[in-house]
Amino acid sequence: MKAVEIEQRQAAALEEIRAAADERSLDALRAKYLGRKGLVPALMKELKALPPEERPLAGRKANELKVAVQQALTERRRELAEARAHPAAAAASFDYSLPGVWRGTGSRHPISSIIERAVEIFHGLGFTVAEGPDIETEYYNFDALNTPPDHPSRDPQDTFYLSDGRLLRTQTSPVQIRYMEAHPPPVRIVAPGRCYRRDTPDATHSANFHQIEGLYVARGVSMADLKGTLAYFARRMMGPGVRVRFRPHFFPFTEPSVEVDFSCHACGGKGCRICKHSGWIEIAGAGMVDPNVFAAVGYDPDEYSGYAFGMGIERMAMILYGINDIRVFYENDIRFLEQFAQ
Amino acid sequence: MRVPLSWLKDYVEFDDTPGNLAERLTFSGTEVEAVETVGGEYPGLVAAEVLESKPHPHAPGLTVCRVNSGTATLQVVCGAPEVLPGHCYAYAPPGTALPDGTAVATRTLKGIDSHGMLLAEDELGLSPDHSTLLDLGPASPGTPLAEILGPPETVFHLEITPNRPDCLSIIGIAREVAALYGTELRLPGFDLTESARAVEDAVRVSVADPSDCPRYTARVVENVRIRPAPLQMRRRLALCGIRPINNIVDVTNYVLLECGQPLHAFDLELLEGRRLAVRRAGTREAITTLDGEQRDLPAGILTICDDSGPVAVAGVMGGANSQIRSATRTVVIESAFFAPALIRSAARALGLSTESSYRFERGVDPAGVEWASRRAAALIKDLAGGEILRGVLDIYPHPVGPRHVSCRWEAITNLLGVKAGPDEIAGRLAALGLEITERTPRGCTVSVPSRRRDIEREVDLAEEFARLHGLDRIPEPPPRSLVVPDADDTHTRATFALRARLVGLGLREVNNYSLVSPRLLDTFRADDPSSRIILPHPVSHDQSVLRTTLIPQMVVTLGRNHARQAAAHAALFEIGRTFSPGKEEDRLVLGLMGPAGRPPLDRRRAVTIPEMFLWLKGILEALLPANNPSRPWGLSPADIPFLTPGTAMQILVHGQSAGTAGILAPNIAAEWRFAGPVAVAEITLEPLLEDFRRIPSFSPPAQYPAIQRDVAVIVNESVKHEDVLRVIRAAAPKELASVELFDIFKGEAIGSGKKSMAYSLQYRSAQRTLTDEEANAFHAAVIEALRRELAAVVRES
Repeated sequence: MKAVEIEQRQAAALEEIRAAADERSLDALRAKYLGRKGLVPALMKELKALPPEERPLAGRKANELKVAVQQALTERRRELAEARAHPAAAAASFDYSLPGVWRGTGSRHPISSIIERAVEIFHGLGFTVAEGPDIETEYYNFDALNTPPDHPSRDPQDTFYLSDGRLLRTQTSPVQIRYMEAHPPPVRIVAPGRCYRRDTPDATHSANFHQIEGLYVARGVSMADLKGTLAYFARRMMGPGVRVRFRPHFFPFTEPSVEVDFSCHACGGKGCRICKHSGWIEIAGAGMVDPNVFAAVGYDPDEYSGYAFGMGIERMAMILYGINDIRVFYENDIRFLEQFAQ
Repeated sequence: MRVPLSWLKDYVEFDDTPGNLAERLTFSGTEVEAVETVGGEYPGLVAAEVLESKPHPHAPGLTVCRVNSGTATLQVVCGAPEVLPGHCYAYAPPGTALPDGTAVATRTLKGIDSHGMLLAEDELGLSPDHSTLLDLGPASPGTPLAEILGPPETVFHLEITPNRPDCLSIIGIAREVAALYGTELRLPGFDLTESARAVEDAVRVSVADPSDCPRYTARVVENVRIRPAPLQMRRRLALCGIRPINNIVDVTNYVLLECGQPLHAFDLELLEGRRLAVRRAGTREAITTLDGEQRDLPAGILTICDDSGPVAVAGVMGGANSQIRSATRTVVIESAFFAPALIRSAARALGLSTESSYRFERGVDPAGVEWASRRAAALIKDLAGGEILRGVLDIYPHPVGPRHVSCRWEAITNLLGVKAGPDEIAGRLAALGLEITERTPRGCTVSVPSRRRDIEREVDLAEEFARLHGLDRIPEPPPRSLVVPDADDTHTRATFALRARLVGLGLREVNNYSLVSPRLLDTFRADDPSSRIILPHPVSHDQSVLRTTLIPQMVVTLGRNHARQAAAHAALFEIGRTFSPGKEEDRLVLGLMGPAGRPPLDRRRAVTIPEMFLWLKGILEALLPANNPSRPWGLSPADIPFLTPGTAMQILVHGQSAGTAGILAPNIAAEWRFAGPVAVAEITLEPLLEDFRRIPSFSPPAQYPAIQRDVAVIVNESVKHEDVLRVIRAAAPKELASVELFDIFKGEAIGSGKKSMAYSLQYRSAQRTLTDEEANAFHAAVIEALRRELAAVVRES
């Protein structure tokens, strides 16, 4: 066979291979060209019969045909395998815009999100979480927290009492007492939890709500430590530019006591709807642990000092997420919940 | 409390804007909630004298007056109850406007022309009072109103914390301002000119129990004349929210606002036996109080009585039977210190909170009682004439002196974390009227006046220093980190991890109230009603029981979302606390509705009970992994009233009941009109957390290749997957690495009442490569056991 003929045969073979519809036809074509009784071995045999001057050219052409056929077979085989793996992907009818199929995304309740974020921040500062019961005694909720017997917060108008004289805790502060009773100083805890007040439900009041309490007792703890810690928390929780300020206040269980404002994360302190145009938002109550509280748990107030703070979880969530009615937290409308998938 | 700026300035000088003052007060502990401007320039408004007044002929309640406005005599129709000829009132002529912008014009009222208006305080923006006209007292007609009423007044609205009753007065605030600005407090000076006749000759006073009333004083002023108090006094009372009555009553209220000491004035001639006795009420005593209410007095309430019975509820409100009338001639001024707790319970028992009770509850200054009495007597003499009888009746068996409190400089600066020298601290304390009685290089002792009952300890002085020094001067060091050895919160961390897993599984978290309706619990019959904790004083019946289970509210939540068309399918969970006597238990509840487990293109087919059940079970399996051999768990059919029979399961962990799971019973589901089956499960949290606390122990994955053999068994429909598994596991050698059910088939080909279940078994040795022959032998044993134990027809492959 002359070199020209070999070239023609090569072109025909490649066309045949590219048109092969499946693996089976490819196998047949392989046998036809490369097999023992195929074209290539036949060509090799024929070479010897050619005149010596034609042999080198024909030989080269025969080799080229062999390599080209091998490559074409491999290539077509790959194409077929791909088409088999992704039959539609190759087609124009493949619709990538269909809804994805995997299980749906879940979501934390925003109250849990705030609690978990706050706890994570305090974990980083060496605080651990302490917990306590929802049903408390008057001792833990009031007496041990230096609340005078005739203090208005004890009023049955404001506090849910049970028929046995116990009550639903009005704050997470009783956890402070329980923890200090059970552990010697130093103490560094946060206590998130559910609290109850006998309020008529409205946009800002709910029969139960959540607080997170913090307590740090050691030698030499100062109000500056409290301020530094809350300033750090404010930046981590609300945003890097947020500042804190203290206003003097009164709580029975701390002395001195302060109310803590965060600068408005939404407007940067310039004044907006969220901060009621004041640039500041009241977030926490805090102070230095009153010596009478230390006395109640048997700590020596001359040796130890400490700070405590409490923050409303719903309040933080409302401010951070721009929610204006506390009741939505307990309605659990999925269209509300699904906005907090994070 | 309201503080008019001009009144405050009577007692203290300072040079600052109202805005700055408000800020300094707020940041020193006296929170200014609002700063209000009251009154105005009143352009065109003048004083007008009423010359004549007569009832409107066609409209009862209206009066037709002729008034002299200084420039003209005009006819004005007026709706006030009392318009007295000869009195001067605020008058708005036609063409002027009220401070709120209302235009005044000539109008016809029931057929009679009214040329302008006579004004009440509310119309002038002075107070909310619309009950009477503003009586300007002696004024010449035509005088511009602004000249009489003075410039607009700035009023501070203050929130006083309960530890600072000394701040419930203008002087109390002035004392704070003086300390803030480093200026002097100026107490009002007055002369007390007394007559020769002694007070003892006019009235007798007794206190039954000095612990109820540690101090009681009485002074008498004779021959007074009752008339309106001067305009300035009435205006100040109105600015502070108190309605002016007459000169005597107004003086008692004025002094109350001025110094914080509540006073009461009795008409001596109305006191039976000319006697005041402080005693507890007996049974069946009653009084008509000054507000006109007839009140039965609870036994034990503290009262002031004359010889015939109660004439006042001590510290709360006086009685109508002894009140100051226009005919009153002799006045007894009561100034006292009543036990705070008694006044609080009295005010609560009567549902009556007054300016007096508010202050007595928080505690007045026992040392200030007598000063207030003198001040009131002097003012009454000034405004009502008469003579002050000599002396005072003062029952004060145990006088309260100043308290001495010591502090160490270093303790204060250490507690606050600030740098401050002894002089700075001492200076701040002295500025508050805490006299330094002793000073050493290490600290000082101060004398604390009796009005400051809140200062008892070193920390209290630290607070006083801090609030004057400025909390903004406390530095903000970066937080210290501290490791507390042995502090352990793995419980919380495990709960967070469990929540993360649930969210990862595609469930949404909800939060329901701890308080539920007993009716809702009854509907489910999920608890024992006798072990519910019921609130004796709930806000509403719907929130009157502490929840015993989380399931009912989960169903309500699903139902609400269904009704609102918020979502066609939902997979929800709540981690919450349940309550029973002596026990609070945290639990997890799951709730599924609609095609929650289906992919998007397969959500129109009706959801069947078995598939819904398996979705629920799938979640439980993800929470209680089967690969934790130390904690076997399973479902066991049970009789649970709120679940569909057959699907009702007890969740067993370690053989102990840990919860319930199943499909909501149709009769309960009907209440919320769900479109298909609803699945719920409730499980105690503790076993779920174990998995997150457990430290896994590693076993190396097998190195040698596995051999797979399938088997399909045709069995009766009643045979369960777990039965097949049990047989396979019992028959197979330890080389059985896994069993997986991969198909279930029912159909005519295998006969009715039958099903084919196909399993894939994997054999693998940890020591070597298994041969086909070995695998065949293992598999043959399994097949033999299946035939024998389950009467199965086996198709192998």
